Amino acid sequence: MTKWDLFPLAAAEEARVVDDAFRVLMIMSVPVFTFVLAALLYAIPRFRKGGEPAGDGPAIHTHGPTVATWFLATTALTLLVIVFPGTTGLLELRHHAAREPDLVVKVEGTRFFWKMTYPQQGVLSVTELVLPVGKRVRFEVTATDVVHSFWIPAFRTKIDAVPGLVTTTHVTPDKTGSFQEDSFFRLQCAELCGVAHSLMQTPVRVVEQSEFESWVAKQVPAPSS
Amino acid sequence: MALLPLVRGLSLGAVGFLLGGGLAAGIRGLMGLDPWSAEPVIVVGYVFGLIGWLLGVGLWGTWAREWLGLAPKKDHVHDWRRYFRFCTDHKVIGVQYLVTFMVIMLLGGLLAVLMRVELMQPGKTLMGPGQFNNAMSLHGILMVAVAVATIMGGFANFLVPLLIGAEDVAFPRLNALSYWIIPPVAVLLLATPLMGGFDAGWTAYPPLSVINAPGQTLYLLAFLTFGISSIVGGMNFLATIITLRAPGMSWSRLPIFVWSIFAAALISLTATQFVAYGLLMIILERVAGTSFFNSAQGGAPLLYQHIFWFYSHPAVYIMILPAFGVVLEVLAHFSRKPLFAYKWVVGAFLSIVVLSFFVWAHHLFTSGMADYLHLPFMVTTELISIPTGVVFLAGLGTIWLGRLWLTTPMLFALGFLFNFLIGGITGIFLADVPTDIQLQDTYFVVAHFHYTIMGGEVFAIMAGGYYWFPKITGRMYNDRLGKLHFWWMLVTYNLTFLPMFWAGVQGMNRRVADFPPELAGVNLFASIASFFLAASFVVLVYNLVVSWKRGPVAAANPWRARTLEWQTTSPPPLENFPAEPQVMGSPYDYGVPGSVHSRPGIAGGAQEVKHAQG
Ligand SMILES: [Cu+2]
Ligand SMILES: [Cu+2]
Repeated sequence: MTKWDLFPLAAAEEARVVDDAFRVLMIMSVPVFTFVLAALLYAIPRFRKGGEPAGDGPAIHTHGPTVATWFLATTALTLLVIVFPGTTGLLELRHHAAREPDLVVKVEGTRFFWKMTYPQQGVLSVTELVLPVGKRVRFEVTATDVVHSFWIPAFRTKIDAVPGLVTTTHVTPDKTGSFQEDSFFRLQCAELCGVAHSLMQTPVRVVEQSEFESWVAKQVPAPSS
Repeated sequence: MALLPLVRGLSLGAVGFLLGGGLAAGIRGLMGLDPWSAEPVIVVGYVFGLIGWLLGVGLWGTWAREWLGLAPKKDHVHDWRRYFRFCTDHKVIGVQYLVTFMVIMLLGGLLAVLMRVELMQPGKTLMGPGQFNNAMSLHGILMVAVAVATIMGGFANFLVPLLIGAEDVAFPRLNALSYWIIPPVAVLLLATPLMGGFDAGWTAYPPLSVINAPGQTLYLLAFLTFGISSIVGGMNFLATIITLRAPGMSWSRLPIFVWSIFAAALISLTATQFVAYGLLMIILERVAGTSFFNSAQGGAPLLYQHIFWFYSHPAVYIMILPAFGVVLEVLAHFSRKPLFAYKWVVGAFLSIVVLSFFVWAHHLFTSGMADYLHLPFMVTTELISIPTGVVFLAGLGTIWLGRLWLTTPMLFALGFLFNFLIGGITGIFLADVPTDIQLQDTYFVVAHFHYTIMGGEVFAIMAGGYYWFPKITGRMYNDRLGKLHFWWMLVTYNLTFLPMFWAGVQGMNRRVADFPPELAGVNLFASIASFFLAASFVVLVYNLVVSWKRGPVAAANPWRARTLEWQTTSPPPLENFPAEPQVMGSPYDYGVPGSVHSRPGIAGGAQEVKHAQG
């Protein structure tokens, strides 16, 4: 399984759903790609004439069985990817999202930084996003100025931060780690937001519950609103 | 004075600009506002300036005089100077489009090279992040314009009337208007750096596009003006194809390229109007303080994204349907076999037109739009694979058992199939919601759409360019250089863009001037490959320029193709055919004994007399 992970690192339950879908699509793509490529690579040398051909090829306008087979096969494949992994993956992510969260983090994007508020703990942070491992987190995301996008590559989660709108996404981190170890642990702005867009990122750290609690204790209290 | 119309257009444009700008300043003054606020003055000045430019460049003499009951001025220029005038000959307009957009493509490519220099290593290499965003945004819109207008404006203008046996398009003056409205677009875009540039990408999402530098307003005006050209062009092609087909040119005998233009024109006429409104709304937001997209005053930023993609997804089919048309045309003639499953292809084109209007929200899977919209838009998007599959079936079915003549255009058409195959398959990853959540806004998307637009459409443009070069210029290109260009471009193109899929999967987001150090290797590789890709265009330009001047004179039909454009001289005379041709059968009946597609008309014959009366 590990060698099949094209993504460098997965650190959340939701990430497995995305990676499974990616893997399934890769597996389905290979025969389709190979089939068309093989047809081209066979046909071109086989039917080429050196230079201008003297006569015409056979007058084949269409071939019913071939067209029918092709049409049915492509339709079946299309329906297949719609159902699996498309719809099944989508439903699985929804199912995850429907569960009650253990922790709520409010995220606010402003050019060019992220502000994370932990209402249950009453603290806020702008330097780092810290999460306890194995806990279900709901992110409530918004922006103050322009559209940003909340993306943590290690969690395979992405949702736009839109002024005037609160968008949500759910993640259950299942692996500890930090930005210092792997840049996939970063909260990256993924929607063009102006000059320092590429620098709009915040380190992410997933820690054990006890470490999370001692981190919380050291943070600035959030102004009660 | 060859360039008199241009001088007149520029001076009247300047007068209009001053008039409009003054008017805006005056009104603002009366309203008690600061009269010289830059953007309102520029917007109103531009509208008047555009009208002045068009009147001066030819609208007045050839068109507007009629409205006042005066006789329109006839332009008697027949040499190279026509290309710099308001000429209504569709062939001249086609060449004007082709040359203009070739130059724009090179400019856009130059910007791409600058971006790849910046991305050779993490940190700053050449540009600061602000300059990078400006370069990226300008590259985006220049190349979108190239993708929309090179085939639709260039090849379609030159060839559709020829392919259907007509003398010209249905509305020749409107056609000239659709071209002459484009130089102001170029001027605006090239002027954006003087006004702080625009850094919101070609997508121009608000609120960013409302609060950034004034260059953004120039961009919005440019895109809006370009949209008018697209709408007018689409209307003109629909009218032309519906009403001006030669006798016997039934819909089932229409060359597939004409069908593809018909399908794309349907989109161009209808969808473009939506983006025009969207852009207008942002202009109003900037200069009149409306709040369509300002959430603090009850507006909705997401609204714009819906409007924008309601056009801009269909727009990718304005780009790719004509590319399908060119490629299938080239494959059939150089396989010397009927186009396989012709009627299925027509059905596929038309169903793509319909479907294209129902998929736009696949660009919004991570935008925060309502969750229940994800599933239906995933379904409609993936359904497009079925008609696209039919196009591949037609391509493969046509070359199968054919007698392939591997000319330069044929190589590019085959290269299209390879690149578009990769572009199409990777599209599924972006249509499927679970994978899109991760891949959206990463280099995977960048790689995907470059595979469809550059690996796809630009390869089709090259196929069409080499195929029709002898018809358009009357001269033959250098075949060895053409083949060198093909192999060079195919290899370096894939070396440049394949690694970008990998970069995206490895966590590189798009539209960034900087990236994590882990991604240094893949970016350096793509950058170096891109420089070699850029160099392949030197071969192309050299070949085109030298061959156009000194290439061997081309025969009327060097490819022994059956379609009508090859049944007249290279280049064709002003009236295209000495007399209206008669269409007798399918253009693709290669290998059918005794079949003919067309018969030359008899000057002054029955058809001709009837035509003159009608
Ligand atoms: Cu941002
Ligand atoms: Cu789309």
